[in-house]
Amino acid sequence: MKTTTRCDFAWCKRVIGLVLFCMLPASVCAAAELHVPAIVEAGQSFAISASGSGQATFYLVGPDVVVKRNVNLGSDLRIQSSDVRIAGPHRVILCESSSCESTTFEVKAAQPAHLSFFLHPSRVPVSFPDSIEGTAFVFDQYFNLVLTPAVVDFRITPASGAGFSRQVPTRNGVAWMRVGSTPREGKVQVTAVLGNVEEARVIQQVAAEACELRMKAVTSGKMVTLETDPVRDCSGNALPDGTVVSFTKIDKAGKSTIDIPIKKDVARAQFSIDGPARISVACGVISGNEVALNGKL
Amino acid sequence: MKTMANQTLTLKKNFPPFVKAASFAIAACVLAIAQSTPQIQLPEVHLDAYGLSPRPIEQLTGTAIAHGYALAWRDQVRALESNEAGGLGEELVGFAKDRLVQRIGEQKRAGVYARIVDHGHHLKAVFYATDGTAMQLLDQAQLEIQIYDGSKLLDTENAAHEYMVLMTPGADRWYVRDLEEVSAKSF
Repeated sequence: MKTTTRCDFAWCKRVIGLVLFCMLPASVCAAAELHVPAIVEAGQSFAISASGSGQATFYLVGPDVVVKRNVNLGSDLRIQSSDVRIAGPHRVILCESSSCESTTFEVKAAQPAHLSFFLHPSRVPVSFPDSIEGTAFVFDQYFNLVLTPAVVDFRITPASGAGFSRQVPTRNGVAWMRVGSTPREGKVQVTAVLGNVEEARVIQQVAAEACELRMKAVTSGKMVTLETDPVRDCSGNALPDGTVVSFTKIDKAGKSTIDIPIKKDVARAQFSIDGPARISVACGVISGNEVALNGKL
Repeated sequence: MKTMANQTLTLKKNFPPFVKAASFAIAACVLAIAQSTPQIQLPEVHLDAYGLSPRPIEQLTGTAIAHGYALAWRDQVRALESNEAGGLGEELVGFAKDRLVQRIGEQKRAGVYARIVDHGHHLKAVFYATDGTAMQLLDQAQLEIQIYDGSKLLDTENAAHEYMVLMTPGADRWYVRDLEEVSAKSF
C-alpha cells in the first residue's frame, strides 16, 4: 500500500514562507490520507481508503479515464472495473476546500487474451531458408500490451509432411520467429498459440526456380515445334501455370525470342527456321538445354 | 528554450551526409513545421536505433519516425489542454487515438484539463519487424504535467515518464498506433 500526503496552500507559502510552512504539524495542512494499492490488474475493481472526516472531491485521472465525484472521507472509495481498463499509471487526487493531495497507482495488463499476429510473406518458394517470418503482439482483453514475459508457441503445419513448432519467449510483449519453408508446395498454416489464445494465418508455398529444364524439338519442313518436359523445381514441384518460359532461336534470319507461359506443366512454341538453327530454352534465371537443327551446328 | 539556430545546428551535427541508423544514434530535432508556423512548437525527439533487431533502419526511416512521433506528441499535448480532439493530426491512430479521444471526452465531462510542458523524448527502438510493418520503441520523456479543474490547479508533477510505443508505416509517414505509459512494475 502506498500513502501520500502533500501540503499545497499557496497563501501559506506566500505569507509564512517555505521554512515555516514545512515546520507546521502535518495535521494542520493535511487532514486526509490516501491509501492505494501500488498495482492493480486491468479491469479489476478495488477500493481506496481515504482517512479523515467531512467531504472532499475525488479525482481519478488515467490514460483514458477521468472520474470526478464528491466523497465522504473516512470511508472506502470504490473504483469501478471500467475505470481501470487501460494499463499505466493512474493519478488519484483528493481535494478538501483549498488543498489537494495526490498519489498514483499502476494498472497492469491482465492475462493474455488477444494475439495480433503477422505472417510474412504471403507466398514463399519451397525449401528456402529463413523465409517465413511471424510476429505476435500479445494483448489482454482491453488491448493492453502484456509486458509480463510469456512463451508463444508458433505451430507450423504444411499441407504435406510433418508439422513442427517453435517456442519463442516474448520480449516487451512481442514474440518473433523465422523458419525456412518446407520442400512441398501448397498451403502452410502457422498458428500462434499462447495459453488458450490462438491465431492462425495461412501462406502459400510455391515451386522454386525450375530445375533441369529440358525441351525437345520436332521439325516439319521449315517449321519446328518445341515442347518442354514438365517444368519442375528441384524438389519435384510443378511450376505454376503462367510461369514464363523463353525460347530463343538463332538462324540466318537473326535472333528471335518467344516468351510462352507454362500450361499444364509444359510450355510449347513454334518457330519457322531458315537454314541451320540453334534454339535454347530458359525459365527465370535457369537455362535449359540447347538443340541444333539441320545437323549443321 | 533553445533558439532556432542552435536547434538547426544540433540537427546538422547529428546528421552527417549518410549514416546508417542501425549503428548510430539518430537525434532528430524536428523543426520543419516550426519554421513555417512559428507558434507551433514540436518537442525534441532523439531516436537511438543502436543494436535494433531483427532489422536495422536507415537514416531516412529514423528521421520520419522521430518526426511522426514529435507531431503525435504535439497534437496530444494540445488536445489534452484544449479538450478538443478535432485538432488531432493523422499521426495518432488505432488504440493510441481511441484512448486519447476517450480521455479528452472524459476530461470535458468532468471539467478537467491537463497542461503538459514537454521537455523532450529519448526514443530507443527495440524491435523492427523484418518486413518493415511495425516498430516498437521505448520512450523516456521528461514531462511537466499539471491537472486543472477549471482554474484550480489540482496536481503538478515534473518527472520522467516511460512509454512503450508501437509505430507502423503508412504511405508517406509513420503512425503512432499504441502509446502506453509503463514503469518497472509493468514488466
